[in-house]
Amino acid sequence: MRFFDCNCCIGLPANPPSPAAGASPGVSAGELLAAMDRAGIDRALPWHVAQHDQDPLTGNDLLAEAIAAQERLVGVWSLLPPQTGELGDVGEWFQRAASAGVRACRAFPEASRYLLRAEVFEEVFEAMTAARWPLLLSLARGVTWDQVYDLLGEFPELTVILCDHGSWGADRYFRPLLQRRPNVYVEIGGYTLDGGIEDFVARYGPGRMLFGSNFPACYHGGMMLALAHAEISDADKQAIAAGNLERLLGEVKL
Amino acid sequence: MISESALAEAFWENGRSDDCPVIDMHGHMGPWRGIYFPRASAEAMIHTMDQCGVRMLVFCHHAALFCPEIGNAANVEAVRKFPDRLRAYLAINPHYPDSVAADLAGFDDNRDVFVGLKILASYHQVCWDDPRYEPAWKFADERGLMVLGHTWSGSRYDGQEMVRRMAGRWPNVRLLLGHSLHGAWDAAAAIAQEFPNVYLELTAVLDDRGPLEKFVAAGLSEKLLFGTDLPWFDPHHGIGAVLSAEIADEDRHNILHRNAERLLGEAGVGV
Repeated sequence: MRFFDCNCCIGLPANPPSPAAGASPGVSAGELLAAMDRAGIDRALPWHVAQHDQDPLTGNDLLAEAIAAQERLVGVWSLLPPQTGELGDVGEWFQRAASAGVRACRAFPEASRYLLRAEVFEEVFEAMTAARWPLLLSLARGVTWDQVYDLLGEFPELTVILCDHGSWGADRYFRPLLQRRPNVYVEIGGYTLDGGIEDFVARYGPGRMLFGSNFPACYHGGMMLALAHAEISDADKQAIAAGNLERLLGEVKL
Repeated sequence: MISESALAEAFWENGRSDDCPVIDMHGHMGPWRGIYFPRASAEAMIHTMDQCGVRMLVFCHHAALFCPEIGNAANVEAVRKFPDRLRAYLAINPHYPDSVAADLAGFDDNRDVFVGLKILASYHQVCWDDPRYEPAWKFADERGLMVLGHTWSGSRYDGQEMVRRMAGRWPNVRLLLGHSLHGAWDAAAAIAQEFPNVYLELTAVLDDRGPLEKFVAAGLSEKLLFGTDLPWFDPHHGIGAVLSAEIADEDRHNILHRNAERLLGEAGVGV
């Protein structure tokens, strides 16, 4: 079984979440790859924690430097409102991202103090929709369900991957979106709900679910084992483990 | 694959291991207000247990904890339906002292069902040292019963200060710290080291990378208990986390079944 992890990060956090936990608070790209080798994960889509903790542009540069020449790592850059000029020309910013091996974006509206709405991001999200760039949103990092619903109301065709929605099953939040928005995907790093994978696939098919680990905050093996032995077909498992993300990133127009 | 462990290889290949049965010491059952559960019935939970190699689950039904009209009857019904796979903790809701008294009075008539007590102080918003819990503590202490208590860092109801105080006050209680004082990992390790009657239960602990290695490094391998809050969390997720942690397979055997076998054996339950 081939795994492509859509939710992991590199870098040292400003405030380690649990300094007494005994684990390293963050990992380098090399350490991530070593951990992936131990677990049996082929590829990953990391972001850099400095994109959230320091500032998006510094984090983007650190991410680009870390994944350079690492064929197994595909990058994620973090957005800012284009109106302040920090991104520069939006088209050129996406070209630089693509050249750095980046194929998806994240947004941290709470940490970077902006609004996730059309008045701010119309140009960016229309460009992402047209070019099929996925936007990853972490419910654990300052994005609310109301914001997600409002955003997808304004950009219904935008590809959005919902990450870190918590270990308490969030189906009542995300299932209405799956039914109404064709390009919404659910990352399963925290989707530990018993029978959740089987129930989800029975209702929506395997195409809307993506494997993620939330490494290094979480172990790789928890969701790997749950997915490997879920009561769904081998083809469905492979789609969730890697195939869906490969397809999404393959559709990105550079 | 998950890790270099031989045990990981067995679980990876088969989803279970004949050499390593799993005993889940922290479960629930039935619907609950906050979460959609695809597999909340006793039958569905047994299906999951078979799927994951879980030999026995010790649980407390949601209705016993949150619906006084139903109470512990929900536990009795489920265990008597699956006596080889289930045991229950008697729910203690301190807001209903008459029900607590009646349930404790009937405990010895239901020893085929109950192996201990369950307290959920943060949810019932009553501190462990409140007089309303006193009859339950006294009852458990006299009989050397297990008490599974939800514990969480900083909680005034069941946080580290309360746990330390009650662990010392009721030394015959086998005190199972549900969620291992989640977040207060150093305090949990210190309390489990200090008090021979305290055990650390791992539900929701396994969501975080690191605490398990910390507990094992603290010499607590024989005081750790696997749990899932089933039907909340997929046992394979928790097992996969144990297999991912940088600990030895002997520690994994302790966590996944040996420690629970010992405690249940002391309660008269052969597993």
